[in-house]
Amino acid sequence: MNDPESPWASAAETALAVSTGATSAAAVVEAALARVAALNGRINAYTDVTAERALREAAALDAARAAGAALGPLAGVPFAVKNLFDVTGLPTRCGARINRDRAPATADAELVRRMNAAGAVLIGALNMGEYAYDFTGENAHDGVCRNPHDPERMSGGSSSGSGAATAAGMAPISLGSDTNGSLRVPAALCGVFSLKPTYGRLSRAGTFPFVDSLDHVGPFARTARDLALAYDALQGPDPADHCCADRAVEEVTPGIDFGAGGLRIGVLGGWFRANAEDGALAAVSRAAEALAGAAEIGALSLDAAEAGRAAAYIITNSESAAFHLDRLRTRADDFDPDTRDRFLAGAILPAAWASRAQRVRRWWLGQALAAFRSFDVLLAPATPCAAPFVGERSLRLNGREVMLRPSLGVLAQPFSCIGLPVATAPVFAAGSMPLGVQIIAAPWREDLCLRVARALEEAGAAIAHRPHSAALH
Amino acid sequence: MGDADAYVDAASALVGLTIAEAHRPGVLRFLELAARMADTLERVDLGDDLALAPVYLPPDLRRAR
Repeated sequence: MNDPESPWASAAETALAVSTGATSAAAVVEAALARVAALNGRINAYTDVTAERALREAAALDAARAAGAALGPLAGVPFAVKNLFDVTGLPTRCGARINRDRAPATADAELVRRMNAAGAVLIGALNMGEYAYDFTGENAHDGVCRNPHDPERMSGGSSSGSGAATAAGMAPISLGSDTNGSLRVPAALCGVFSLKPTYGRLSRAGTFPFVDSLDHVGPFARTARDLALAYDALQGPDPADHCCADRAVEEVTPGIDFGAGGLRIGVLGGWFRANAEDGALAAVSRAAEALAGAAEIGALSLDAAEAGRAAAYIITNSESAAFHLDRLRTRADDFDPDTRDRFLAGAILPAAWASRAQRVRRWWLGQALAAFRSFDVLLAPATPCAAPFVGERSLRLNGREVMLRPSLGVLAQPFSCIGLPVATAPVFAAGSMPLGVQIIAAPWREDLCLRVARALEEAGAAIAHRPHSAALH
Repeated sequence: MGDADAYVDAASALVGLTIAEAHRPGVLRFLELAARMADTLERVDLGDDLALAPVYLPPDLRRAR
Protein backbone atom coordinates (compact mmCIF):
# COMPACT_ATOMS: atom_id res chain seq x y z
CA MET A 1 0.00 0.00 0.00
CA ASN A 2 1.48 3.33 -1.07
CA ASP A 3 1.01 6.59 0.78
CA PRO A 4 -2.04 8.04 -1.06
CA GLU A 5 -0.22 11.33 -1.52
CA SER A 6 2.83 9.60 -3.04
CA PRO A 7 3.31 10.11 -6.79
CA TRP A 8 3.38 6.33 -7.10
CA ALA A 9 0.08 5.65 -5.36
CA SER A 10 -2.38 3.92 -7.64
CA ALA A 11 -5.64 5.67 -8.47
CA ALA A 12 -7.49 2.93 -6.58
CA GLU A 13 -5.40 3.56 -3.45
CA THR A 14 -5.89 7.31 -3.65
CA ALA A 15 -9.64 7.04 -4.23
CA LEU A 16 -10.04 4.71 -1.25
CA ALA A 17 -8.04 7.02 1.01
CA VAL A 18 -9.98 10.11 -0.07
CA SER A 19 -13.35 8.36 0.15
CA THR A 20 -12.69 7.11 3.67
CA GLY A 21 -11.18 10.38 4.88
CA ALA A 22 -7.73 8.86 5.42
CA THR A 23 -6.46 11.81 3.42
CA SER A 24 -8.06 14.80 1.73
CA ALA A 25 -8.42 15.43 -1.98
CA ALA A 26 -6.78 18.79 -1.37
CA ALA A 27 -3.64 17.15 0.05
CA VAL A 28 -3.44 14.71 -2.87
CA VAL A 29 -3.87 17.45 -5.45
CA GLU A 30 -1.40 19.81 -3.79
CA ALA A 31 1.21 17.02 -3.81
CA ALA A 32 0.51 16.28 -7.48
CA LEU A 33 0.81 19.94 -8.46
CA ALA A 34 4.08 20.24 -6.54
CA ARG A 35 5.49 17.23 -8.37
CA VAL A 36 4.52 18.65 -11.75
CA ALA A 37 6.13 21.97 -10.82
CA ALA A 38 9.33 20.20 -9.78
CA LEU A 39 9.67 17.81 -12.74
CA ASN A 40 8.00 19.27 -15.77
CA GLY A 41 10.97 21.38 -16.77
CA ARG A 42 12.93 18.16 -17.34
CA ILE A 43 10.22 16.04 -18.97
CA ASN A 44 8.02 18.67 -20.68
CA ALA A 45 4.88 16.57 -20.43
CA TYR A 46 2.53 19.40 -19.43
CA THR A 47 1.72 22.38 -21.63
CA ASP A 48 -0.89 23.78 -19.22
CA VAL A 49 -1.36 23.28 -15.48
CA THR A 50 -4.88 23.98 -14.26
CA ALA A 51 -3.90 24.49 -10.61
CA GLU A 52 -6.68 26.86 -9.63
CA ARG A 53 -9.33 24.61 -11.08
CA ALA A 54 -7.75 21.52 -9.51
CA LEU A 55 -7.71 23.03 -6.03
CA ARG A 56 -11.33 24.13 -6.48
CA GLU A 57 -12.39 20.62 -7.56
CA ALA A 58 -10.49 19.07 -4.65
CA ALA A 59 -12.08 21.43 -2.14
CA ALA A 60 -15.53 20.58 -3.51
CA LEU A 61 -14.82 16.85 -3.05
CA ASP A 62 -13.65 17.35 0.52
CA ALA A 63 -16.71 19.46 1.28
CA ALA A 64 -19.00 16.83 -0.23
CA ARG A 65 -17.44 14.14 1.90
CA ALA A 66 -17.70 16.27 5.02
CA ALA A 67 -21.40 16.69 4.22
CA GLY A 68 -21.81 12.92 4.12
CA ALA A 69 -22.00 12.45 0.35
CA ALA A 70 -20.60 9.26 -1.20
CA LEU A 71 -17.69 10.04 -3.54
CA GLY A 72 -17.06 8.49 -6.96
CA PRO A 73 -14.72 5.60 -7.82
CA LEU A 74 -11.91 8.03 -8.74
CA ALA A 75 -12.37 10.40 -5.81
CA GLY A 76 -9.48 12.83 -5.59
CA VAL A 77 -7.42 11.10 -8.29
CA PRO A 78 -5.39 13.64 -10.28
CA PHE A 79 -5.63 13.28 -14.06
CA ALA A 80 -4.47 15.20 -17.12
CA VAL A 81 -5.45 15.16 -20.78
CA LYS A 82 -3.70 15.38 -24.13
CA ASN A 83 -4.14 18.96 -25.26
CA LEU A 84 -6.58 18.02 -28.02
CA PHE A 85 -9.30 17.60 -25.36
CA ASP A 86 -11.33 20.74 -24.75
CA VAL A 87 -10.70 22.20 -21.32
CA THR A 88 -12.86 25.17 -20.36
CA GLY A 89 -10.83 28.35 -20.56
CA LEU A 90 -7.97 26.97 -22.67
CA PRO A 91 -7.60 27.17 -26.45
CA THR A 92 -7.52 23.56 -27.67
CA ARG A 93 -4.03 23.71 -29.10
CA CYS A 94 -3.72 20.13 -30.43
CA GLY A 95 0.04 20.58 -30.46
CA ALA A 96 -0.23 23.29 -33.10
CA ARG A 97 0.86 26.92 -33.16
CA ILE A 98 -2.06 27.68 -35.45
CA ASN A 99 -4.60 26.47 -32.88
CA ARG A 100 -3.37 28.90 -30.25
CA ASP A 101 -5.36 31.52 -32.13
CA ARG A 102 -8.56 29.67 -31.27
CA ALA A 103 -10.89 31.09 -28.66
CA PRO A 104 -10.68 29.34 -25.30
CA ALA A 105 -13.00 26.36 -25.01
CA THR A 106 -16.31 27.23 -23.39
CA ALA A 107 -16.98 23.69 -22.16
CA ASP A 108 -15.01 20.57 -21.27
CA ALA A 109 -14.75 17.56 -23.56
CA GLU A 110 -17.26 14.86 -22.67
CA LEU A 111 -14.60 12.53 -21.26
CA VAL A 112 -13.22 15.28 -19.02
CA ARG A 113 -16.74 15.71 -17.67
CA ARG A 114 -17.05 11.97 -17.07
CA MET A 115 -13.72 11.82 -15.22
CA ASN A 116 -14.85 14.73 -13.06
CA ALA A 117 -18.18 13.02 -12.44
CA ALA A 118 -16.28 9.97 -11.13
CA GLY A 119 -14.42 12.23 -8.70
CA ALA A 120 -11.13 12.66 -10.60
CA VAL A 121 -9.47 16.07 -10.51
CA LEU A 122 -8.10 17.69 -13.66
CA ILE A 123 -4.60 19.07 -13.12
CA GLY A 124 -3.59 20.00 -16.65
CA ALA A 125 -3.25 19.53 -20.39
CA LEU A 126 -0.44 17.54 -21.98
CA ASN A 127 2.08 17.89 -24.76
CA MET A 128 1.45 16.04 -28.03
CA GLY A 129 2.66 15.81 -31.60
CA GLU A 130 1.19 18.48 -33.86
CA TYR A 131 -2.36 17.62 -34.91
CA ALA A 132 -1.63 14.09 -33.61
CA TYR A 133 0.45 13.24 -36.72
CA ASP A 134 3.39 11.82 -34.83
CA PHE A 135 4.93 8.76 -33.21
CA THR A 136 7.99 10.47 -31.65
CA GLY A 137 6.96 13.02 -29.00
CA GLU A 138 8.85 15.80 -30.77
CA ASN A 139 7.03 19.10 -31.25
CA ALA A 140 8.56 22.19 -32.86
CA HIS A 141 6.27 24.58 -30.95
CA ASP A 142 6.06 23.09 -27.46
CA GLY A 143 9.41 21.29 -27.41
CA VAL A 144 10.33 17.65 -27.08
CA CYS A 145 8.39 15.60 -24.56
CA ARG A 146 11.12 13.46 -23.01
CA ASN A 147 11.07 9.86 -21.84
CA PRO A 148 11.08 9.67 -18.02
CA HIS A 149 13.26 6.53 -18.21
CA ASP A 150 15.94 8.42 -20.16
CA PRO A 151 15.32 12.05 -21.11
CA GLU A 152 17.68 11.71 -24.05
CA ARG A 153 15.15 9.37 -25.63
CA MET A 154 11.75 9.84 -27.23
CA SER A 155 8.55 9.48 -25.22
CA GLY A 156 6.68 8.29 -28.29
CA GLY A 157 3.66 10.01 -29.77
CA SER A 158 1.39 11.45 -30.45
CA SER A 159 0.03 11.18 -26.87
CA SER A 160 3.56 11.94 -25.68
CA GLY A 161 2.70 13.98 -22.61
CA SER A 162 0.14 11.40 -21.51
CA GLY A 163 2.60 8.51 -21.57
CA ALA A 164 5.40 10.57 -20.01
CA ALA A 165 3.26 12.18 -17.28
CA THR A 166 1.83 8.85 -16.14
CA ALA A 167 5.23 7.12 -16.24
CA ALA A 168 6.90 9.94 -14.29
CA GLY A 169 4.40 9.93 -11.44
CA MET A 170 2.93 13.23 -12.59
CA ALA A 171 -0.59 11.87 -13.26
CA PRO A 172 -1.79 8.41 -12.20
CA ILE A 173 -4.31 8.55 -15.02
CA SER A 174 -4.11 10.48 -18.26
CA LEU A 175 -6.23 10.54 -21.39
CA GLY A 176 -4.95 10.39 -24.94
CA SER A 177 -6.06 9.57 -28.44
CA ASP A 178 -5.07 6.90 -30.94
CA THR A 179 -5.55 7.12 -34.69
CA ASN A 180 -2.67 4.87 -35.71
CA GLY A 181 -1.03 3.92 -32.42
CA SER A 182 -0.84 7.07 -30.30
CA LEU A 183 -2.14 5.41 -27.12
CA ARG A 184 0.09 2.37 -27.65
CA VAL A 185 3.44 3.75 -28.80
CA PRO A 186 3.89 6.17 -25.83
CA ALA A 187 2.62 3.52 -23.39
CA ALA A 188 5.20 1.06 -24.71
CA LEU A 189 8.12 3.50 -24.85
CA CYS A 190 7.36 5.05 -21.43
CA GLY A 191 6.47 1.74 -19.74
CA VAL A 192 2.83 2.16 -18.66
CA PHE A 193 -0.55 0.58 -19.47
CA SER A 194 -3.00 2.01 -22.00
CA LEU A 195 -6.31 0.99 -23.48
CA LYS A 196 -7.37 1.78 -27.02
CA PRO A 197 -11.00 0.70 -26.88
CA THR A 198 -13.08 -0.48 -29.81
CA TYR A 199 -13.66 2.24 -32.41
CA GLY A 200 -16.88 3.98 -31.37
CA ARG A 201 -16.80 2.87 -27.74
CA LEU A 202 -15.76 6.16 -26.11
CA SER A 203 -17.06 9.60 -26.97
CA ARG A 204 -14.76 11.93 -28.86
CA ALA A 205 -17.07 14.91 -28.35
CA GLY A 206 -15.06 18.01 -27.53
CA THR A 207 -11.78 16.72 -28.95
CA PHE A 208 -9.95 18.23 -31.90
CA PRO A 209 -10.13 15.65 -34.72
CA PHE A 210 -7.35 14.12 -36.79
CA VAL A 211 -8.94 11.38 -38.92
CA ASP A 212 -12.64 10.86 -38.29
CA SER A 213 -12.55 7.34 -39.78
CA LEU A 214 -9.87 6.20 -37.33
CA ASP A 215 -9.82 8.44 -34.25
CA HIS A 216 -10.14 6.72 -30.87
CA VAL A 217 -9.69 8.07 -27.32
CA GLY A 218 -8.68 6.20 -24.19
CA PRO A 219 -6.81 6.14 -20.87
CA PHE A 220 -3.23 5.54 -19.64
CA ALA A 221 -2.49 4.22 -16.13
CA ARG A 222 0.27 2.54 -14.12
CA THR A 223 -1.80 -0.48 -13.12
CA ALA A 224 -4.30 -2.62 -14.99
CA ARG A 225 -6.93 -1.98 -12.32
CA ASP A 226 -6.54 1.79 -12.62
CA LEU A 227 -6.89 1.44 -16.38
CA ALA A 228 -10.14 -0.47 -15.88
CA LEU A 229 -11.46 2.04 -13.33
CA ALA A 230 -10.81 4.92 -15.73
CA TYR A 231 -12.28 3.06 -18.70
CA ASP A 232 -15.45 2.23 -16.78
CA ALA A 233 -15.83 5.88 -15.79
CA LEU A 234 -15.47 6.94 -19.44
CA GLN A 235 -17.95 4.53 -21.05
CA GLY A 236 -21.47 5.21 -22.23
CA PRO A 237 -23.22 6.44 -25.36
CA ASP A 238 -23.03 10.08 -26.44
CA PRO A 239 -25.13 11.48 -29.28
CA ALA A 240 -22.69 14.41 -29.51
CA ASP A 241 -20.16 12.08 -31.21
CA HIS A 242 -21.65 10.70 -34.42
CA CYS A 243 -19.55 7.52 -34.21
CA CYS A 244 -20.09 6.77 -30.51
CA ALA A 245 -21.98 3.49 -30.33
CA ASP A 246 -25.36 3.32 -28.67
CA ARG A 247 -24.22 0.68 -26.20
CA ALA A 248 -24.79 0.48 -22.49
CA VAL A 249 -21.83 0.58 -20.15
CA GLU A 250 -20.15 -2.85 -19.94
CA GLU A 251 -18.05 -2.58 -16.77
CA VAL A 252 -14.74 -4.42 -16.84
CA THR A 253 -13.50 -3.71 -13.33
CA PRO A 254 -15.64 -6.37 -11.60
CA GLY A 255 -14.15 -9.12 -13.80
CA ILE A 256 -10.59 -7.90 -14.04
CA ASP A 257 -9.26 -10.62 -11.72
CA PHE A 258 -10.85 -13.50 -13.63
CA GLY A 259 -7.39 -14.36 -14.99
CA ALA A 260 -6.40 -15.86 -18.31
CA GLY A 261 -7.70 -19.35 -17.52
CA GLY A 262 -9.43 -20.97 -20.47
CA LEU A 263 -8.47 -18.27 -22.94
CA ARG A 264 -6.95 -19.16 -26.29
CA ILE A 265 -4.07 -16.76 -26.89
CA GLY A 266 -2.41 -16.39 -30.28
CA VAL A 267 1.12 -15.00 -30.63
CA LEU A 268 1.45 -13.13 -33.92
CA GLY A 269 4.43 -14.12 -36.03
CA GLY A 270 5.11 -13.58 -39.73
CA TRP A 271 4.95 -9.90 -40.70
CA PHE A 272 4.85 -8.82 -37.04
CA ARG A 273 7.96 -10.84 -36.27
CA ALA A 274 9.79 -9.55 -39.34
CA ASN A 275 9.19 -5.93 -38.30
CA ALA A 276 10.33 -6.16 -34.68
CA GLU A 277 13.74 -6.25 -33.05
CA ASP A 278 14.77 -9.09 -30.74
CA GLY A 279 13.97 -7.15 -27.56
CA ALA A 280 10.40 -6.43 -28.64
CA LEU A 281 9.91 -10.08 -29.59
CA ALA A 282 11.36 -11.22 -26.28
CA ALA A 283 8.77 -9.08 -24.44
CA VAL A 284 5.98 -10.91 -26.29
CA SER A 285 7.56 -14.28 -25.50
CA ARG A 286 7.83 -13.30 -21.84
CA ALA A 287 4.13 -12.39 -21.80
CA ALA A 288 3.14 -15.65 -23.51
CA GLU A 289 5.20 -17.69 -21.05
CA ALA A 290 3.58 -15.92 -18.12
CA LEU A 291 0.13 -16.82 -19.43
CA ALA A 292 0.96 -20.35 -20.49
CA GLY A 293 0.08 -21.93 -17.15
CA ALA A 294 -3.55 -20.89 -17.40
CA ALA A 295 -4.21 -20.12 -21.04
CA GLU A 296 -3.81 -22.15 -24.19
CA ILE A 297 -1.04 -20.53 -26.24
CA GLY A 298 -0.80 -20.87 -30.02
CA ALA A 299 0.94 -19.13 -32.89
CA LEU A 300 -0.43 -17.57 -36.04
CA SER A 301 0.55 -15.34 -38.90
CA LEU A 302 -1.70 -12.53 -39.94
CA ASP A 303 0.27 -11.12 -42.81
CA ALA A 304 -2.73 -9.26 -44.23
CA ALA A 305 -1.81 -6.74 -41.54
CA GLU A 306 0.75 -5.26 -43.93
CA ALA A 307 -2.04 -4.21 -46.28
CA GLY A 308 -4.10 -3.06 -43.30
CA ARG A 309 -1.23 -0.83 -42.27
CA ALA A 310 -0.98 0.56 -45.81
CA ALA A 311 -4.72 1.29 -45.79
CA ALA A 312 -4.37 3.12 -42.48
CA TYR A 313 -1.50 5.19 -43.89
CA ILE A 314 -3.40 6.30 -46.99
CA ILE A 315 -6.69 6.98 -45.16
CA THR A 316 -4.84 8.99 -42.53
CA ASN A 317 -2.77 10.94 -45.02
CA SER A 318 -5.64 11.86 -47.33
CA GLU A 319 -8.42 12.42 -44.79
CA SER A 320 -6.33 14.51 -42.40
CA ALA A 321 -4.87 16.64 -45.19
CA ALA A 322 -8.33 17.32 -46.60
CA PHE A 323 -9.40 18.41 -43.11
CA HIS A 324 -6.45 20.81 -42.83
CA LEU A 325 -6.54 21.96 -46.45
CA ASP A 326 -7.45 25.55 -45.70
CA ARG A 327 -4.74 25.84 -43.05
CA LEU A 328 -2.26 24.32 -45.52
CA ARG A 329 -3.28 26.88 -48.14
CA THR A 330 -2.92 29.88 -45.87
CA ARG A 331 -0.48 29.00 -43.07
CA ALA A 332 1.82 26.23 -44.28
CA ASP A 333 4.82 27.91 -42.66
CA ASP A 334 3.14 27.84 -39.24
CA PHE A 335 2.98 24.03 -39.24
CA ASP A 336 5.62 21.93 -37.53
CA PRO A 337 8.07 21.14 -40.35
CA ASP A 338 7.83 17.49 -39.33
CA THR A 339 4.12 17.29 -40.08
CA ARG A 340 3.75 19.92 -42.80
CA ASP A 341 5.29 18.10 -45.74
CA ARG A 342 3.35 14.93 -45.00
CA PHE A 343 0.09 16.89 -44.81
CA LEU A 344 0.94 18.68 -48.08
CA ALA A 345 1.58 15.35 -49.79
CA GLY A 346 -1.67 13.96 -48.39
CA ALA A 347 -3.62 16.84 -49.90
CA ILE A 348 -2.75 15.73 -53.42
CA LEU A 349 -3.08 11.94 -53.20
CA PRO A 350 -5.19 10.40 -55.98
CA ALA A 351 -8.77 9.77 -54.83
CA ALA A 352 -8.50 6.22 -56.22
CA TRP A 353 -5.87 5.41 -53.58
CA ALA A 354 -8.10 6.63 -50.75
CA SER A 355 -11.08 4.68 -52.04
CA ARG A 356 -9.07 1.50 -52.46
CA ALA A 357 -7.72 1.94 -48.95
CA GLN A 358 -11.28 1.83 -47.60
CA ARG A 359 -11.96 -1.37 -49.55
CA VAL A 360 -8.76 -2.99 -48.31
CA ARG A 361 -9.61 -1.85 -44.80
CA ARG A 362 -12.85 -3.86 -44.96
CA TRP A 363 -11.05 -6.85 -46.46
CA TRP A 364 -8.42 -6.72 -43.68
CA LEU A 365 -11.20 -6.62 -41.06
CA GLY A 366 -12.52 -9.90 -42.47
CA GLN A 367 -9.05 -11.48 -42.30
CA ALA A 368 -8.55 -10.36 -38.71
CA LEU A 369 -12.00 -11.46 -37.53
CA ALA A 370 -11.33 -14.94 -38.92
CA ALA A 371 -8.42 -15.22 -36.47
CA PHE A 372 -10.84 -14.81 -33.57
CA ARG A 373 -12.53 -18.09 -34.51
CA SER A 374 -9.40 -19.81 -33.20
CA PHE A 375 -8.21 -17.32 -30.60
CA ASP A 376 -9.75 -15.06 -27.95
CA VAL A 377 -6.79 -12.73 -27.70
CA LEU A 378 -3.76 -11.98 -29.86
CA LEU A 379 -0.34 -10.76 -28.68
CA ALA A 380 2.08 -8.61 -30.68
CA PRO A 381 4.85 -6.13 -29.95
CA ALA A 382 3.59 -2.55 -29.59
CA THR A 383 6.65 -1.04 -31.25
CA PRO A 384 9.50 -2.52 -33.29
CA CYS A 385 12.06 -1.36 -30.69
CA ALA A 386 12.56 0.55 -27.44
CA ALA A 387 12.61 4.35 -27.46
CA PRO A 388 15.01 5.83 -30.03
CA PHE A 389 17.12 8.85 -29.12
CA VAL A 390 15.55 12.27 -29.59
CA GLY A 391 16.37 13.60 -33.04
CA GLU A 392 16.84 10.24 -34.75
CA ARG A 393 15.31 10.32 -38.21
CA SER A 394 15.53 6.78 -39.50
CA LEU A 395 14.74 3.28 -38.32
CA ARG A 396 15.95 -0.12 -39.49
CA LEU A 397 12.82 -2.14 -40.22
CA ASN A 398 12.72 -5.59 -41.80
CA GLY A 399 16.15 -5.11 -43.33
CA ARG A 400 15.40 -1.65 -44.74
CA GLU A 401 16.24 1.86 -43.59
CA VAL A 402 12.92 3.76 -43.31
CA MET A 403 11.74 7.17 -42.08
CA LEU A 404 11.31 6.89 -38.31
CA ARG A 405 8.43 9.29 -37.76
CA PRO A 406 5.86 7.47 -39.91
CA SER A 407 7.21 4.00 -39.04
CA LEU A 408 7.52 3.72 -35.25
CA GLY A 409 3.86 2.74 -35.05
CA VAL A 410 3.94 0.21 -37.86
CA LEU A 411 2.87 -2.68 -35.60
CA ALA A 412 0.06 -0.67 -34.01
CA GLN A 413 -1.52 0.76 -37.17
CA PRO A 414 -3.20 -2.41 -38.46
CA PHE A 415 -5.44 -2.68 -35.38
CA SER A 416 -6.61 0.93 -35.14
CA CYS A 417 -7.33 0.65 -38.86
CA ILE A 418 -10.11 -1.82 -38.07
CA GLY A 419 -11.01 -0.51 -34.63
CA LEU A 420 -10.10 -3.57 -32.53
CA PRO A 421 -9.68 -3.03 -28.77
CA VAL A 422 -6.05 -3.21 -27.65
CA ALA A 423 -4.53 -2.93 -24.20
CA THR A 424 -0.82 -2.20 -24.07
CA ALA A 425 1.05 -3.78 -21.16
CA PRO A 426 4.57 -2.74 -20.09
CA VAL A 427 6.87 -5.79 -20.23
CA PHE A 428 10.45 -4.87 -19.31
CA ALA A 429 13.00 -5.27 -16.55
CA ALA A 430 13.36 -2.55 -13.91
CA GLY A 431 16.16 -0.20 -14.88
CA SER A 432 16.00 -0.99 -18.59
CA MET A 433 14.23 0.91 -21.37
CA PRO A 434 10.55 -0.07 -21.54
CA LEU A 435 8.80 -2.15 -24.17
CA GLY A 436 5.12 -2.90 -24.54
CA VAL A 437 2.98 -5.82 -25.64
CA GLN A 438 -0.30 -5.31 -27.48
CA ILE A 439 -3.19 -7.44 -26.16
CA ILE A 440 -5.71 -7.47 -29.00
CA ALA A 441 -9.28 -8.74 -28.83
CA ALA A 442 -12.34 -8.93 -31.06
CA PRO A 443 -14.54 -5.81 -31.29
CA TRP A 444 -16.26 -4.84 -28.00
CA ARG A 445 -14.19 -7.32 -25.92
CA GLU A 446 -12.19 -4.81 -23.92
CA ASP A 447 -12.94 -7.06 -20.95
CA LEU A 448 -10.56 -9.70 -22.35
CA CYS A 449 -7.82 -7.14 -23.01
CA LEU A 450 -8.03 -5.92 -19.41
CA ARG A 451 -8.23 -9.42 -17.93
CA VAL A 452 -5.07 -10.49 -19.75
CA ALA A 453 -3.27 -7.25 -18.84
CA ARG A 454 -4.16 -7.84 -15.19
CA ALA A 455 -3.10 -11.50 -15.40
CA LEU A 456 0.28 -10.41 -16.75
CA GLU A 457 0.61 -7.90 -13.93
CA GLU A 458 -0.37 -10.51 -11.35
CA ALA A 459 2.27 -12.87 -12.78
CA GLY A 460 4.90 -10.15 -12.49
CA ALA A 461 5.43 -9.99 -16.25
CA ALA A 462 3.84 -6.58 -16.81
CA ILE A 463 4.83 -3.89 -14.35
CA ALA A 464 5.03 -0.14 -14.83
CA HIS A 465 8.42 0.09 -13.13
CA ARG A 466 9.35 3.48 -11.74
CA PRO A 467 11.95 5.22 -13.88
CA HIS A 468 15.48 5.13 -12.43
CA SER A 469 16.40 8.25 -14.37
CA ALA A 470 18.12 11.02 -12.41
CA ALA A 471 15.71 13.43 -14.08
CA LEU A 472 13.04 12.27 -11.65
CA HIS A 473 15.02 12.72 -8.44
CA MET B 1 6.14 7.43 -59.54
CA GLY B 2 6.62 8.91 -62.99
CA ASP B 3 7.23 12.63 -63.22
CA ALA B 4 6.51 13.39 -59.57
CA ASP B 5 7.44 17.07 -59.87
CA ALA B 6 4.92 17.60 -62.65
CA TYR B 7 2.28 15.73 -60.66
CA VAL B 8 2.91 17.91 -57.59
CA ASP B 9 2.54 21.06 -59.70
CA ALA B 10 -0.65 19.93 -61.42
CA ALA B 11 -2.39 18.38 -58.42
CA SER B 12 -1.53 21.17 -56.01
CA ALA B 13 -2.82 23.79 -58.46
CA LEU B 14 -6.04 21.81 -58.79
CA VAL B 15 -6.71 22.03 -55.03
CA GLY B 16 -5.50 25.61 -54.71
CA LEU B 17 -2.36 24.74 -52.81
CA THR B 18 1.00 26.40 -53.30
CA ILE B 19 3.93 24.11 -52.54
CA ALA B 20 6.91 26.30 -51.58
CA GLU B 21 10.22 25.19 -53.06
CA ALA B 22 11.56 24.61 -49.54
CA HIS B 23 8.74 22.15 -48.89
CA ARG B 24 8.97 20.29 -52.20
CA PRO B 25 11.68 17.73 -51.29
CA GLY B 26 9.70 16.66 -48.22
CA VAL B 27 6.47 16.48 -50.18
CA LEU B 28 8.13 14.30 -52.83
CA ARG B 29 9.52 12.01 -50.14
CA PHE B 30 6.09 11.52 -48.57
CA LEU B 31 4.42 11.08 -51.95
CA GLU B 32 6.89 8.32 -52.67
CA LEU B 33 6.04 6.67 -49.34
CA ALA B 34 2.32 6.95 -50.09
CA ALA B 35 2.93 5.41 -53.51
CA ARG B 36 4.59 2.43 -51.86
CA MET B 37 1.55 2.05 -49.61
CA ALA B 38 -0.73 2.27 -52.64
CA ASP B 39 1.32 -0.50 -54.31
CA THR B 40 0.71 -2.69 -51.27
CA LEU B 41 -3.01 -2.00 -51.55
CA GLU B 42 -2.97 -2.90 -55.25
CA ARG B 43 -1.51 -6.29 -54.47
CA VAL B 44 -4.63 -7.31 -52.51
CA ASP B 45 -7.02 -9.24 -54.77
CA LEU B 46 -10.38 -7.60 -54.15
CA GLY B 47 -12.00 -8.75 -57.40
CA ASP B 48 -15.18 -6.80 -58.00
CA ASP B 49 -16.00 -6.52 -54.33
CA LEU B 50 -16.81 -2.86 -53.72
CA ALA B 51 -17.45 -3.03 -49.99
CA LEU B 52 -16.02 0.06 -48.35
CA ALA B 53 -15.17 0.08 -44.67
CA PRO B 54 -17.30 3.12 -43.74
CA VAL B 55 -20.98 2.34 -44.05
CA TYR B 56 -23.58 5.08 -43.92
CA LEU B 57 -26.66 4.01 -41.98
CA PRO B 58 -29.59 6.40 -42.17
CA PRO B 59 -31.23 6.90 -38.80
CA ASP B 60 -34.72 5.54 -38.15
CA LEU B 61 -36.58 8.57 -36.85
CA ARG B 62 -39.26 6.37 -35.25
CA ARG B 63 -36.55 4.93 -32.96
CA ALA B 64 -35.16 8.37 -32.16
CA ARG B 65 -38.50 9.59 -30.76
